[in-house]
Amino acid sequence: MSPDHPMTDADPATPTDPTIVELRRGLRPFQRRLWLRRLVHDGTRIAAVAVAAGLALAGASRLWPLEWAPLAAAGLLMAALLALLVDAARRRPSLAQTAIALDTEQGLRDRLGSALALAGRQVDDGPDAQRYEELVRLQRQDALRSLAAADRRAFRPRVPRRALASTVLCAALIVPALILPNPQSAILAAREDQRAAAEQQARRLEQTADRLGTGRESPDPRAEVADDLRRLAKSLRDAPEDLDEQLARLGSMEDALRSRLEPGAEQRAASISSLSRSLSRLATGSDSNAAGDPEQAAEDLAEMAAELDEMTDAERAELARSLAELEPVARQAGPEARGALHDAATALAAGDTESAREALDKLGEALQRGQRQVDLNRDLARAANDVQDARRALAGGEPSRTGQNGQPGQPGQPGSNGQPGQPGQPGSSGQPGQPGSSGQPGQPGSSGQPGQPGQGGQPGQGGQPGQPGQGSQPGQGSQPDQGSQPGQGSQPGQGQGQGQGSLGGGGSSARFLGSGTGQGTARGPTSGNRQFGTGELDPIYADFERLGRPGDPSYIAGSGGDGQIDPGRGQGAGSDSDGIVPYTDVYQDFADFAITTLDRSYVPVDVKDYVRDYFSTLGGGR
Amino acid sequence: MTQQALDRTRAADRDPATGGGPAGRDAATEAELSPEAFGDRARLIEREIQRVIVGQDALVRQTLICLLANGHALLEGVPGLGKTMLVRTIAEVLDCTFNRIQFTPDLMPADIVGTNVLVEEGGQRIFRFQPGPVFANLLLADEINRATPKTQSALLEAMQEQQVSVARERHLLSPPFFVLATQNPLEMEGTYPLPEAQLDRFLFKLWVPFPSEADLVTILDRTTGSTTAHAQAVATAAEIVAMQRLARSVPIAQHVTAYAVAVLAATHPDGPRAPQLVREYVRYGGSPRGAQALVLAGKINALLDGRLNVATDDIRAVALPALRHRVIRNFEGEAEGITSDAIVRAVLDAVAPPAVD
Repeated sequence: MSPDHPMTDADPATPTDPTIVELRRGLRPFQRRLWLRRLVHDGTRIAAVAVAAGLALAGASRLWPLEWAPLAAAGLLMAALLALLVDAARRRPSLAQTAIALDTEQGLRDRLGSALALAGRQVDDGPDAQRYEELVRLQRQDALRSLAAADRRAFRPRVPRRALASTVLCAALIVPALILPNPQSAILAAREDQRAAAEQQARRLEQTADRLGTGRESPDPRAEVADDLRRLAKSLRDAPEDLDEQLARLGSMEDALRSRLEPGAEQRAASISSLSRSLSRLATGSDSNAAGDPEQAAEDLAEMAAELDEMTDAERAELARSLAELEPVARQAGPEARGALHDAATALAAGDTESAREALDKLGEALQRGQRQVDLNRDLARAANDVQDARRALAGGEPSRTGQNGQPGQPGQPGSNGQPGQPGQPGSSGQPGQPGSSGQPGQPGSSGQPGQPGQGGQPGQGGQPGQPGQGSQPGQGSQPDQGSQPGQGSQPGQGQGQGQGSLGGGGSSARFLGSGTGQGTARGPTSGNRQFGTGELDPIYADFERLGRPGDPSYIAGSGGDGQIDPGRGQGAGSDSDGIVPYTDVYQDFADFAITTLDRSYVPVDVKDYVRDYFSTLGGGR
Repeated sequence: MTQQALDRTRAADRDPATGGGPAGRDAATEAELSPEAFGDRARLIEREIQRVIVGQDALVRQTLICLLANGHALLEGVPGLGKTMLVRTIAEVLDCTFNRIQFTPDLMPADIVGTNVLVEEGGQRIFRFQPGPVFANLLLADEINRATPKTQSALLEAMQEQQVSVARERHLLSPPFFVLATQNPLEMEGTYPLPEAQLDRFLFKLWVPFPSEADLVTILDRTTGSTTAHAQAVATAAEIVAMQRLARSVPIAQHVTAYAVAVLAATHPDGPRAPQLVREYVRYGGSPRGAQALVLAGKINALLDGRLNVATDDIRAVALPALRHRVIRNFEGEAEGITSDAIVRAVLDAVAPPAVD
């Protein structure tokens, strides 16, 4: 009722007339029916508003990729239900309202409303008070008779037609909007994939950071890199949608890591290993240090140094000569090792055992320091590879992979002068599997064969990529990849011979390269180093197929020159050429030049990526 | 009140020992009337009036309401519509004293209220009050707007206080005192329109409509033949007073009273619920007497409808006659020809009765 016409139920303090009690009791069913009518009426309107809003939401979600659309739809539903509940609480009619409504609907001329209103009125004592009371009593009885005669089916629920029509229309439009394919779904799915990829790569970066940082503190560069990687992972989680920014950060991080890498670290590592193995053999007279462990070599050197005084001059001379023969290897192991070796050999030759002992100790320490530097370089290289993989995964929007590819096989090292090849090192383990099914074992690398005499080394066959996780089983993130089978490049070179060292047959994932050091003519198996595969190293020789052809936007056709071909004539004595150089020796120069060139000149982005990928692929095998 | 009680009241009223005197009036007014008797008596009065007055049912009902509310009515209509006949018939039906004053410009106040005249009594000459025609139960003030304002105002005290003061002496009028004034809206030349203060004294202002053709045929049959219809007295002054007392005792709910007030407030141009018509064309709205008229007339309307409660419909039913003369139009309203009835109807449209959806 209008607030301008106040009306309340009877004052409870008033002595209650049985008639008014009966009147109120009789109004209760109508009160409930009126409440129901209001709920139906308001509920229809609320539904109309909610459905209209839902339709608008469905339409908007077909025009724009609204990720919060389902949440908003649920919110709409909840808001509608809440509004209905609030309305039900607020719109519960009082008895007075029920009386007035029944008066209006049944044409009772305010009988019921007046009866309730008069029941609560205090009458002043006056000459007509008794008469007034009597009239009120009679009026109440009249109201009760009217109530008894009222239609019990009053207050039938009324559905507002406009609201109902609006609800039906909007609902009819919502159904096709929900059923028909939504063009925005693909965008939303891509965003979801992007977030999942970002999360996955963030985990990968954190795993890398854990691997690098565990047990290490600043100033160890690995601890700093671990911190940087964690920040990068957090940034990935915080803003997965900002793909360009994240890729730029990943690229920057990768470049920073690459810039820390020492180009000749692997060659140095091979030399340290070889030198350690040889030194241990000299010290112990056996292959006790077949793995080329520098620490073992240092211990062996220390024992040998302790026995120098007990050696005869001839033995010391022989030892000095043997040490001198190792100088070429020590040169690649580092100047410190080379100097210490040279000092030791010189001191032994001169019979100065004390100096020789000190030099041998220095040599052991140099080997250990070199090995630590190599380990640091490898860790940083792995981190760089992880960052690169993360960047690729993000850029390509790759779905979550269950297994990681096996590492590409290392290119073989040139055999030197037909020395028997050293046993190949076991292949490195595959990368830890990503959450998902465990990856298939990486394929073992091809056997490292001894170098061919006089022939340029052939690249080792690339390792086969690890197979993706099999089956549909959920990934167990804790299982490492099984790509840990050692490479088979462990067969020593046979025979002797002169010539250029051939590329050792690195295993597909060999971390240490075989290197021949034998003399003489090689009689090694002719099948060595012949196995070319389609491994990861193939891109080294792969044609540039993506760009640079007619039709490409960046292709500029050249014109033929007018020069004449003047074939040379004559004969000359051949000599060993130094033209063939292991690519690891020049890789960094080329990579630096390429990166610098990319940064300084306008090159299409995809071409930049291509070039970076190329060098990254090669860099992973260093 | 039983029929025997009514009969006793009527007998006491007619008793020469009490009738016409204050004691007789007191006895009559002390009698109580039941709502059923009220309805019966009212219907009887209406039926008797309608034996003479053809058609005009609404006019008869509203005049009866005015009488039972102890108010006064101003009848406006063209000549020949039976205004005087209506008043005379009511006087016959009610069996009470009736006087008629034909208002003319030379009518003096003393001609209405009476005057002291010098009489010789017991060898002495003394002034004795000679009551004027106002001393009657029913007073017909015919063509009231033809008297001067001074004479018109002579009725003010009588209508409001139901007493007359002459030479510093008050003279009470016998209840019921019912003034029925008439005025002719056509011949305005040489008339003195009633001032607003005097208009406000009238409970109702009633339009006397032109009868329908069917009613006109009946009127001709009754008035041009050899026989003339006469009404019988079916109620006494005492019964009317008792009915007036009962009417005032009818309870009214607060929300109905509030509705009457809202209707009245909406006749004011500065009222919050005033319709546009009121805001544009009304100078002054109804006075509090207007709200009193609405409630009192509403009570009687409810009783006549057989109810003991006042409904908002009762308020709406009596709003036109109760408010049309209390709404003062401004110059624009008069120039535009906006009638008071149109304004009141706009008010009723604007102020809807309390309802619950």
